[in-house]
Amino acid sequence: MDLLQGTLDMLVLRTLRAGSLHGYGIAKSIRSTSNEALDIEFGSLYPALKRLEAKGWIASVWETSEHNRRAKFYRLTAAGRKQLVREHSKWADFVSAVGRIMGTLPEVKG
Amino acid sequence: MKIWNRLKYLWPAWRRQQERDMREELESLTAIAGANELGNLTLAMEDVRATWGWTWLGSIFADIRYSLRALRRQPAFATVAVLSLALAIGANSAIFSFADALLLRPLPVKNPADLFDVTNTTPDNPFEGMSFPDYRDLRNKNRSFSGLAAYRVTTLAVAASAAAPAQMCFANLVSDKFFPVIGVTPAAGRSFLPDEATAFAQPVAMVSYDFWRQKYAGEQSAIGSSLRINGIVFTIVGVAPASFTGLDRFALPSLFVPLGMAQRLDGETADPLEDRGRHDLVVKGRLSAGLSQESAQAEVATIGAALEREYVKTNRNRHMAVRTELERRMQQTPQLLALVKMLMGLVALILIIACSNVANLLLARGRARSREIAIRLSIGAGRGRVVRQLMTESLMVAMAGGGAGLFVAYGGIRLLETLSVPSDPPFVLGVQLDWRIVQFSLLAALASCIFFGLAPAWQTARTDFVSALKAGGDGSSGKGRMVGRDVLVAGQIALAMVVLIAAGMFLAGFRNMLVMPPEFRTDHLISMDTAPALVHYTPEQTKVFYRRLVDRVRTMPGVAVVAMAESLPLSPSQTAVNVAPEGYQFPKGRETELEFGGAVDAAYFSTLHIEIKRGRAFTDDDRAGSHRVAIVNQQFAKTYWPGQDPIGKRIRLKSAAGAPIEVVGVAKNGHYLAVNEAPAPYVYVPYEQNPRSRMTLVVEAVGDAGALAKPLRDAVRSIDGNVPVFNLRPVATLYESRVTDTWLQFFQMVGTMGFIGLALATTGLYGLVAYTVTRRVKEFGIRVAIGAGRRDIVWFVERRGLILAGVGIATGGVLTAMAAPMLAAGFPGLGVSSPAVYVFVPLVLLTVSAVASYVPARRAAGLDPLRALRNE
Repeated sequence: MDLLQGTLDMLVLRTLRAGSLHGYGIAKSIRSTSNEALDIEFGSLYPALKRLEAKGWIASVWETSEHNRRAKFYRLTAAGRKQLVREHSKWADFVSAVGRIMGTLPEVKG
Repeated sequence: MKIWNRLKYLWPAWRRQQERDMREELESLTAIAGANELGNLTLAMEDVRATWGWTWLGSIFADIRYSLRALRRQPAFATVAVLSLALAIGANSAIFSFADALLLRPLPVKNPADLFDVTNTTPDNPFEGMSFPDYRDLRNKNRSFSGLAAYRVTTLAVAASAAAPAQMCFANLVSDKFFPVIGVTPAAGRSFLPDEATAFAQPVAMVSYDFWRQKYAGEQSAIGSSLRINGIVFTIVGVAPASFTGLDRFALPSLFVPLGMAQRLDGETADPLEDRGRHDLVVKGRLSAGLSQESAQAEVATIGAALEREYVKTNRNRHMAVRTELERRMQQTPQLLALVKMLMGLVALILIIACSNVANLLLARGRARSREIAIRLSIGAGRGRVVRQLMTESLMVAMAGGGAGLFVAYGGIRLLETLSVPSDPPFVLGVQLDWRIVQFSLLAALASCIFFGLAPAWQTARTDFVSALKAGGDGSSGKGRMVGRDVLVAGQIALAMVVLIAAGMFLAGFRNMLVMPPEFRTDHLISMDTAPALVHYTPEQTKVFYRRLVDRVRTMPGVAVVAMAESLPLSPSQTAVNVAPEGYQFPKGRETELEFGGAVDAAYFSTLHIEIKRGRAFTDDDRAGSHRVAIVNQQFAKTYWPGQDPIGKRIRLKSAAGAPIEVVGVAKNGHYLAVNEAPAPYVYVPYEQNPRSRMTLVVEAVGDAGALAKPLRDAVRSIDGNVPVFNLRPVATLYESRVTDTWLQFFQMVGTMGFIGLALATTGLYGLVAYTVTRRVKEFGIRVAIGAGRRDIVWFVERRGLILAGVGIATGGVLTAMAAPMLAAGFPGLGVSSPAVYVFVPLVLLTVSAVASYVPARRAAGLDPLRALRNE
């Protein structure tokens, strides 16, 4: 499934609310949480992480991973938390607006 | 992102650290996830770098580095292109600095765009000054200007003390609030106080920055010290800033004095500031915020009309006009405008020739590089990207040309700086290499880059890369491109011809002037100006002074003859008088005409060898009280009494109501202000009947005229040491500097332009012909192999150069036919185009073209057919 424009940032912020993860961990988490529906290319996720970091919504630190490997872990900052609330309400508004228009799934005669 | 965050990424060390960090992170993730899982990391990293920003800057730097490398690989191309542009841009910048000094440079005041010029206009003089009462009324009644300032330029005799000799200086007599209105704050001390504006105030003066540096070494102690000006002791209260050199272009003031002092300085009995008929003030107004020039003009015109009704006697036929500074300069000195236009036009043509040269080189180079471009296109470079790369190269060439052009401009400006007008105090032309010139050069470079770079870049990027890669062909429709280059070269030759013919017309016009013997004698003569009125001599005292001076000088050893005149021919300041010749019908609204004229004594005509064509010269019998007489020149007689005998006619001077004087002689025409002026009327009156306050002594020496300088100065000092002496110099020196030097420099300038144009066009032609030869080596090989002789090949190549030259010359002929009348109109006395120029210039062009094509033709003929065929 393709992502709607601009939702990737929101997904990353939401995923990091649960706790800090490294880049690949974030991709895996999004994939599994969405029941494999959203398979995000690491190639697009990674620049998004850097962008969010530059905006100050997430912060990173080198840590040792579960398999005793060093990796850079990302966590949500206070500003990121606020941003997530904003994005979430915007998303909810969007979903309900689109839902009102689309209604229930129409029967398709074939 | 915050500015600081963005700027951080400009710092190379920071970028390197980010880069390292990113690589480390991705390596660690690869170790965790496996290489295939993460996809295209190179692309991801590139995307991240894009979020750092500045990638455009990085790619520009990359383009620049690449361009410089490409240019280094072809030093011959780079050298020729940069030199062409340097010459052309340098010439343009030098001429721009000249135009800037003459016309364009804004006034050195605060917000010069808001400062407008307010003048009277009369049918005789559209730039008449304003009288002080009119200025005062205008200042009180108008609502258009937030402030008005008036001033008048004058020369004053300045001495450090009563014992020291006086020196002539330009000065501005300024109204109160002059400095606040124009927005100039003193560099030291203060400007004038309101109560210093009156004639009864303590005499105070401000000095210019240069004067302060020269006379007081920039010491603070200058403030409060005293200075004798026209014999009156003034206190210096302030120093103008270095940036403020007055509101006039050539007469830079050394002193500023309140206008209220005018009466005392000039030693007049009546206050000139209360004389509504004395129209001699320059008025500047600072427009109120939000108002337009048109509304100010409308209001000022209304006020002017009201004054005209109220003061019929002094303000008849006078209107008021509001002009911008640029409008005033252009309208007031149309001959300078014409000169500037012509010079700017010529150098613009040279720039076009140079740009065509570079465009031509780029087209040739584009062909040679089509393979490289094809490879870049085939591995995925966008055409826009390739055009950008090629334009970057052009820009590098243009910037190098512009930079080197500044050095050329500097040389040109040094030459222009030596242009001088011989006068005391000196007039200053003010050409300088300043920030405006640098900006102009860069702009010219940018504009030429677009002009010469865009088309070739586009051509090159249009390369069909498949056929270009195949078999080393160039993959473009070569035919069309060659035609384009032919057109460029023919165009260059056409423009070079226009430049050369303009230069030729200049030469033809000046040759007469340069070889022409002066119309008056210049050898063994020395002249000296004195101004006893500046130290408050009454008219009676002045007469006595000059009588004593002439008597004393006459008995000096080494002196043959002494004569006096109000102004000498070709001296930079000429006197003029309003004339109303008997029987002449002026156009409606006019009663007099301003013509050159002056008082001379009885010895004048014989001393300067000015021939009396009819009637008689003045004699000692033309005294005060005897019958009033005048002598006119031939042009005067021709203008006012065509076909009639001027002897016995009568003229009224100053106004139509003046006393009639009788013409008793006709003198030969001369040149009065410049040697290239059209013949001008002149009226001489005898000094004894028309005593003047300021006269020039002309002394004929038995031996060397220059040796009399000191004795002459001493003679004045022995009568009165306070009387200022100036313009003391041999008449031959004056003549040379006015005739030969100035115009010779102009001629050198125009000649240099012609030469640059010719050289650039020749380079272009040579380049094209040589290039054709290289391209057709194979063909020539075949021709030789099947029996073509050396001569055939030479002619074959030569013919091509000559055809191009022929087309260029024909086009140039048409262009010249269109341009010549404009040139002739702008320069009366110069438009005499000699037919020789029209024959000579095409011949020169043809010869040079023939030589330029012969060099590559010989090379083509010398080709070894076998080697030529094996080639490629």
